[in-house]
Formats: sequence, C-alpha cells, structure tokens
Amino acid sequence: MKRILAQCKKELVQFRRDRLTLALAFLLPFITLLIFGFAIRLESKDIPVIVQDFDHSNLSRSFTERLYGTNQFTPRQWSGSNPARDAIDMGIAKAAVIIPPKFSSQVRAGIPTTIQVLVDAADVNNARVVQAGVQSVTNFFMQDQRLLPTTSTVTAHTRLWFNPGRLESLFIVPGTFGVVLWIFPSLLMAIAMVREREKGTILQVYTSNISAVELLLGKGLAYWLIAICEAILIIGMGALLFHLSFAGDPTPLLFGTLIFLADSILFGLMLGVKADSQAEAVQGVSLIGFVTSLLLSGFIYPLNNIPFPLSLVPNVIPARYFIDISRDAFVRGTGWAGVWLSVVMLFVLGFFFFNVARKGLDRMQLSD
Amino acid sequence: MRRFLNTPFFALVLKEIRQILRNKQLLFLLIIPPIVQLLLYGSALNPDVQNLKLGVLDYANVYESRELVAALTENGIFAAQTPPVSEAELSDRVETGKLAVGVVIPPEFPRRLAAGNAEIQILIDAVNANTAGIANSYLSQIVLQYNRRLKTTQTALPVQAQVLFLYNPGLTSSWFFIPGVMGLVLTLIGTITSAIAVVKEKDVGTLEQLLMTPAASWEILLAKVVPLFFLLMGDVLLALTLGRVVFRVPFQGNFLLLMVLSACYLFVTISIGALLGTIYQQQQQVLLTAFFINMPMVETSGAIAPVESMPPFFQTLSLLNPMRHYIAIVRGILLKGVGLEALWMHALALVVFAIVLVTISTRQFRNQLS
Repeated sequence: MKRILAQCKKELVQFRRDRLTLALAFLLPFITLLIFGFAIRLESKDIPVIVQDFDHSNLSRSFTERLYGTNQFTPRQWSGSNPARDAIDMGIAKAAVIIPPKFSSQVRAGIPTTIQVLVDAADVNNARVVQAGVQSVTNFFMQDQRLLPTTSTVTAHTRLWFNPGRLESLFIVPGTFGVVLWIFPSLLMAIAMVREREKGTILQVYTSNISAVELLLGKGLAYWLIAICEAILIIGMGALLFHLSFAGDPTPLLFGTLIFLADSILFGLMLGVKADSQAEAVQGVSLIGFVTSLLLSGFIYPLNNIPFPLSLVPNVIPARYFIDISRDAFVRGTGWAGVWLSVVMLFVLGFFFFNVARKGLDRMQLSD
Repeated sequence: MRRFLNTPFFALVLKEIRQILRNKQLLFLLIIPPIVQLLLYGSALNPDVQNLKLGVLDYANVYESRELVAALTENGIFAAQTPPVSEAELSDRVETGKLAVGVVIPPEFPRRLAAGNAEIQILIDAVNANTAGIANSYLSQIVLQYNRRLKTTQTALPVQAQVLFLYNPGLTSSWFFIPGVMGLVLTLIGTITSAIAVVKEKDVGTLEQLLMTPAASWEILLAKVVPLFFLLMGDVLLALTLGRVVFRVPFQGNFLLLMVLSACYLFVTISIGALLGTIYQQQQQVLLTAFFINMPMVETSGAIAPVESMPPFFQTLSLLNPMRHYIAIVRGILLKGVGLEALWMHALALVVFAIVLVTISTRQFRNQLS
C-alpha cells in the first residue's frame, strides 16, 4: 500500500512539471466540450427555402406567408430558367416549394391539389426535418383555410417527456461528457506508461522492490485522481454553460463517473503496455478512443440504427454505458432503477481492462 | 529524361520512396485506418427515424382503435412492442427508455368517437430532441389521415405536399457521411504522415547529413512531399472505390475536377503536417499537437453533423476550416453532380489555403535549415 502511494505521488509530481500534458489534461478537454456542446446540432433552424409561385393568388400568397411564418424557414430569391432546381444545385436554397398554376381555383373547386417540394437530400437528416416542416405547414394552412373540418374526430394529446422544448443541448452535452472523459484520461495514461519504457526508466522500476500490480495501481491511482479533477471541471462547466441540472438522484452519476474514469485509465494502461512507442500509443488511443466513443456510443445518432454485426460492439464500450448514466442524471431522472445495469457493466469492463493490462505487463517483464 | 534522373532531387525522391516502402508503420497508417474509418462511419452513423419502439395501451380494444394502431405501425417508422398492461407500466417503460413512444387509447374511445370528440394520449421520449421532433410530426400526420378516413371515403387531402428528395431519393445516410469521412481521413493521415516524415530526420539526427548534400533546401522538402502526395492520392482513390463498392455512393460529377481539388486539399494537409514537423523536435510532440489541431477541425467541418445546423458563430468560424470546404466539394461533386459554377467559392478557398500554407511551411523549413 505504501509503495502504491509513493508511486502515485511521484507520478503527480512528474505530471505537474510537464506543460504539454497539463494542457492536454485540462485545456483540450474544455475546448472539446465547448465545440461539441455549442456546435453539434442536428436540426437546422432558418433553412433557406425558395418559393416558386405560378398561381399568384391570395391563396398561394397566404401559403407562402405561412411557410415563412414558422421560424424554421427563411425566404430566398433566385431567378433563371429553372429557379427551383438551380437554387438547390447552387446551394442557395435547401428546399424549393412549387405552387402550381390554378392552385387556388382547384382548391376552391374542391379538387385535390399537390404542391411540389424539392428537397436537397444530400443531408439526410435535414431532408426529413424539411419534409416534416412543410407537412405541418400544409396542415396548418388547410385548417386555417377551413379546408379541413375544424373539429377533428380524434385529437391526439402529445406530451414530449423529459425535454418538452426539444433542446438539442440536453441531448448532446451529457453525451459530450462521455466522449471527453473517455478520450483524454486514457490518452494521458497511455502516454505516461509508454514514456517509462521509452526513456528506459522501466528498468529502474524492475530493479526496485515494487511489483507489477503495485506499479500499475500506483500509476493508475495518480491518473485517476487527475481524471477526477478533469471530470469536475468538465461536468461542472458543462452544467453551468448549458444550464443543466440534476433531474433526479445524482448518486448513480457520482458512482458511474468514478468507475468510468477508472475504466478510461485502465484502457489507457492497457494500450500503453502494449504500444512500443508514444507515437503508437497516441495513435492507438486517439483512433480507437475517438471511433468507439464517438460512433459506437449513441452519442449523436441512436444506437439501434447500427446494422447487425456491428451493433454488437457497443455492448462492450464503456462510453455507451456512461452516456446512458449521464443522460439519465441530467434529463431522465429515473435514478438507480433505470441505470443500475450500466453501472455494473462499467465495473465489469474495468475489471477486464485491468487484467489485460496486468498480463501485458507480465509479458513485458519476461521479454526484457 | 536522363539529365533529370541524375539530379540530386531525383536521388532524394528515390531515397524517400525506399524509406517509405521499408516503413511498415507508415504503410499500415496509409491503408488500414482509412478503410476501418470509412466502413465504420459509413455504417455506424445513421440518423434514420425507423422502428421506434411503440407501446400501445388500448383500453377500448374495438375495431376503430385497432384500426388506429394499424395506421400507426404500417409504415415501418414505429414498431409495436408487447403492449403494456397499465398506465404505470407504460410510463415506466417510456421513462427508462425501453419505449420511444407510448399511446393510450382510453376506454370511452368508441363512445366519444361516435360523438365526434375522441381523444388519445401520446407520450414521446424527447431525450433525443431530433428524433422526437421527426417522430412527433409523423404521428400528427398519421392521426390527421386517420381522421380523414373516418369522415370521408376520399383519401386525398385537399392540399398535399408532395416531397421529392433530390440527390439522395432513398435517404441513404451513408451517402451523406462517406464524403465527410473522406475529408476526415485525408486530414488525419495527411497531417500525421507528413509531420512524421519531416520530423523523423531530426529525431534520428540525419538532417545534417542531408544538408551537406548538394541538394537545395526546397529540393529536400519537395522530395519528401512528392512520394507522400502520390500515396495520399491513392488514399483518395481507395476511399472513392470503397464508397462506390460497399455503400453504392453515386458519382454524379466530374472525376477530373474532384481529383484536381483533392490534390489541392492534399497540399493543405501535407503543409499543415510539414509545418508541425518543422516546429517540433520529436515525433510524440508532433503527434499530440496534430491531435490538438485535428479534433476541432473535424468537429467544425460538417463531417459528422451538418454545418448548416451549427449556430451562426460556428458557421462563420468554419469558413476558416479548409476541411469544411473540401467536404462541401466532395458532396457537391459526388451527390449533386455540380461543377465549378456552384463550387467555385469552396474551390477558391481551398486554393488560397493551399498557397498560403505551402508558402509558410517552405519558408519555415528553409529558416530552420539555415
């Protein structure tokens, strides 16, 4: 125990002296939080739309007004031989609404009329958003013009739970905690581990009476403490800047964070033990860490959209469980009842990483 | 030709090519990560709204209510799960995220339907704001259609918005992401490999030897860059082939234009890498700094989440990100099939970035030598 603490203290002293790693530990995570938190949005607001009105009637004008009256679309002008298609090709507008001639006369006569909407579907998600937006504008328009019965037989009372204002930050920011706290602590740990070997100081460790497990625990403990400081900074600043507050019992998040940070550290140790050079360690952690926590964790897009063989991978990715816990703490608020399994999984994965790292270290010792 | 083959420049190029071919790590870096990333991003990133888990608590359980449930589930957007037995169970399952949407049809539904004022309750799990918004609009559309079916036999609405999806009629998400990942891969691999190529000479201490050869400093740098440039062009072709074969991404535009602009972009990434290589002395510092620079660049480029959805400030900021322009160009050429008439601004930006960065990095390299 004493040896573990001594090792831990030595690591902390070493850590404080290195400017680049200090920046890596605190500055870059913070910048990442800011960029992810502010810049990652899926739903466009103010989508540029061009209206080509062949009817020029009061009715068609009131449709146009309705369309621009939502805060979702902004008007764009474009002229040319084929303004609708050209404007989308040139990227001037994301959608074009074409109101046919005889629109008003057909509507008045009770003949079903179609309004054609061209959508730039290069961005798939926003194509759907545009479709939904135009659809609801059309419905409003019909109700407004009394083309639909004003009282409907079935009324749906819809409630959006947890996030009635549909704030995207509530979804993205708790996820960002998972990504940031996965990538950076493990990167720091891996670098620290490889450095020992690159500088040759690992030999000194071998000659001392500290055992392999004690070395791992001592190093791990030091970086775990650093990671906790990072977590306090990131989660605290995130909550402050994006107005998050606990929706329920915060203890699962507390425990979950501590275990998740340990996972992250152990993952770094595991790669650090395996890698031969710092270059390799940095590449390994940044590639594997980035890909797993960003793509296979449900951070941006729903996990159940991942196709079959690949969909098995998220089950062994700690960031995925931590994001569940973090979203529960800040948005859902179901507490232990909802997330106990995620906390257990984090624990199990941590145990696995530790064993792999220990085995790797044993082998390292034998070969020398 | 013979005279060219005898120049110090050609000898240096040969030396670099030999070094690259012997460097297993570099070759690995040029081939494996691009393939893995393209495949992963292409299949894992998917904003589809489909098979949302729907739980219906149907207290009425009559023909009309079953009709409504059928209307909800017949389009593949909602997938019915085992029906909950009580309202408590329904809300519990929505709370814990086991259901995305919960619908309650009250017992008095048939009676009120006859009276013409029936109500149903819909709960949507809105933690994921984006999915919830789209699901919500689908739901109201379905209820609207159902209403109409009750009243008239005529199914067509008086005004219908017929939506035509251009460029990607099937809304295949990988078509959006593959061009983004191409930009991402070229940026990551380009900066790292060129930075390593420049810094390694210093790290190992062979730069002085190079300086004693009759080659000029620009020749040394160019000789380093040229083989790398061709290998990275190979990566462009690799990415295009993978996109075409695995994900069936269309290629609507001009191949030559894409290659020329890709070359332009490679100059940008190689110069960034070379610049990093001249600043630092060791590989690990270079790699860490590359990581510093690449992360924000990737995040604001529109590779993962569209630029148009970002807040205005970040949209303006992203104009300074060469990767954003490159991705816009690749999407434009591949999906839209447009040419310079639509992309000239992005192309111009790339050319300017390339010229500025190449100038700075050569100057830096020269300064460092003297």
